[in-house]
Amino acid sequence: MKKMFTKLGLVLLISLFAVKSLWAQVTVLGWPGGPEETALRKAVEVYNAGPGKSSGTVSLIFFNRDGFWDKLQADLAAGTTEFDINLTATYAVGRYAPYMQPLSLPSAATDVFGEKVLKTMQFEGEQFGVPTDLSLHFMYYRDDLIDKLLSDAGWQKIYGEISQKYLGKTLSPKNPDTWNWEDYAATALFFTKSVNSASPTRYGTVLQMKNLLFNMMIWHSTARSHGGEWLDANGNVMVDSWAFRQGLQLYKTLYDAGASPKDSTSYEYAEANAAFGSGQAATMLQWNAAFGSLNNPEENPAVAGKIGTVAPPAGPAGRVTHIHGLGLGLNKNSKNKDAAIKFLNWLSGVDAMETYALGGGSPAMAKSITDKISVNRPDLIKLGDFAGSYGFVMNGGTSASALQIYTLQAEQFTGYWSGTKSLDEALQATSKGMAELLK
Amino acid sequence: MQVSSKEKFWLTAPITFFLLVMLGFPLLLDLIYSVSEVTFENLLSPRLQGFENYLKTLQDPTYWDALAFSLKFGLTASLVQLILALFLAIYLEPLLARHPWLMAVLMAPMMVAPALIGLMYRLILHEFVGVIPYYLWEWVGDSPAFLGTENAFLTLVTIEILQWTPFALLIIYTAYRAIPTHLREAARMDGANSAQLLLLVELPNMMPVILLTFFIRFIDSFRVFDNIYVLVGSGAGGTSTSLSIYIYKAFFRGGNIGQAVAASVLLFLAALLLIALLERFSRRMETT
Repeated sequence: MKKMFTKLGLVLLISLFAVKSLWAQVTVLGWPGGPEETALRKAVEVYNAGPGKSSGTVSLIFFNRDGFWDKLQADLAAGTTEFDINLTATYAVGRYAPYMQPLSLPSAATDVFGEKVLKTMQFEGEQFGVPTDLSLHFMYYRDDLIDKLLSDAGWQKIYGEISQKYLGKTLSPKNPDTWNWEDYAATALFFTKSVNSASPTRYGTVLQMKNLLFNMMIWHSTARSHGGEWLDANGNVMVDSWAFRQGLQLYKTLYDAGASPKDSTSYEYAEANAAFGSGQAATMLQWNAAFGSLNNPEENPAVAGKIGTVAPPAGPAGRVTHIHGLGLGLNKNSKNKDAAIKFLNWLSGVDAMETYALGGGSPAMAKSITDKISVNRPDLIKLGDFAGSYGFVMNGGTSASALQIYTLQAEQFTGYWSGTKSLDEALQATSKGMAELLK
Repeated sequence: MQVSSKEKFWLTAPITFFLLVMLGFPLLLDLIYSVSEVTFENLLSPRLQGFENYLKTLQDPTYWDALAFSLKFGLTASLVQLILALFLAIYLEPLLARHPWLMAVLMAPMMVAPALIGLMYRLILHEFVGVIPYYLWEWVGDSPAFLGTENAFLTLVTIEILQWTPFALLIIYTAYRAIPTHLREAARMDGANSAQLLLLVELPNMMPVILLTFFIRFIDSFRVFDNIYVLVGSGAGGTSTSLSIYIYKAFFRGGNIGQAVAASVLLFLAALLLIALLERFSRRMETT
């Protein structure tokens, strides 16, 4: 009896393996713990109930967010076959390209995303991913405070005096949608208690100045709007420039004047949101993804319903915002490439992206598509508009060294802001380091 | 019963095999990588290039900055922990002798993972959600930037001290309790006052344990990573880069695997030297 059960068990086990090998199951490594995960789960659910039935179902795995890119790097370098499709990002696409297989997406993908957005997943002219989510920056501001500033003569007089004292010219308050960086600085100073004792907020703005690569992406809008660029057309490093100096000095001026919290040098996304959400900061340059949470009365009762968002202020070279995409691409060592490609092709289509967007994701899609779902996702219209009108990627921003360059800049520039390095030292060290990295 | 050499071999074989596989192999791999040109692209086929990685590491000013930070951090944290633990062990001895369960309560901080401690203090010290800045604003109308560049070192050391002083306390308290009662009694009969008893009898008796505790805490604080990384990363301008963070950044962020491994081998050699000195010192103390 015992032998019979053992044999039966073995037969069952072998059958299970046989069925599993005949039935390709695609494993996707996604971005965990946020709206991206929720959206991907929704899209996969729809795929598995439809096209996946014939071409192979999809299952999902997630790492922890902390050190995600480092763990992914180690896994890909080790030739893992544990996942067929993995997350990639604009700033990391060059780094992971050696371990990924380029894609030939259906032509319809261009209609869904547009060339500019597809480009966020390209490296050396080849497509390495489907751009599922786009990130860019909004200038968040307290519209109740700005409304008062635009209508109160007393406040306007103080505003003019403060701008004269700190910026050397008498400015008048403007609508945030027409701000240049000086208007932003003057507003931030006006709403700073240590500068203007009548300010209703403790700080005029909240700057993210932690030594962290993502903070450089936020700051880059200041340099780029002054005409700054990482590399010129010949690939020469050009960060030691007037444009970079203007951007760096702007942050330094505001931080030194006390317009941003004193420990801003340890601030990143979460800390900045906490400061703005407390109602004690009047403005903030922040990722678009923060809006939902900040405007939720349960999470942030002090500011919900009082938040305006516009594109970052303009500089002499125009109005810009850093953009980068998160996307899904094909692991070069995948054992289920055909099934994985079928899923990626499906994911780049209109139906899949609508599902993804309604599930909480933030794909930047053509206006005709976002219009259809605008009732549920009005924010995607602004996302698409801003990406198309103001989006930029620094020259070299998708290179294999991009992450290292961001890290280098973070180290040097935060040194300048915190006063441990001079502006010249920081820019020279950045130029030298970038030239080494791009050799 | 006499154990034959054959039996000795078979008895120690499993642990020897385990150590060779779990420690020997990674060490050998590290040594090869440290003298090779290796990146994530050629992990399986590194190109030997001699001692260039060691030279690059030693010529890198950020390596020396990180070493200086780790030394300063390790020394400050371990010395303060030692002094505090010594004070607490003697001061709380009557209480702890009556209520030994209190020691378990005092041990609580070191049971929390350092990364979680970092996360906890990131919340506690944040100006807008943290309890300490909240009350400082309420009571004195201002709060220092605990994690700002000028205060970061002090804050980080304080957090390390708060978490690990219990460890030092446990060891030193045990040593204090282990001092034979007759020594104290003899000293009292000879007319020694409390200060003399402490300085001439108790401290000399505890000295080997005190030094051992200092070395253990120093090594642990010297290789600090988790709580600093969670709290401030490598700090504005790299001012909070410990040697462990330097190695991590060189490895993962910089992709300079050879250089990162060379730095870790240097750290390993320094630790080995320290342990050898400690062992020699312990033997000397035993013989005297």
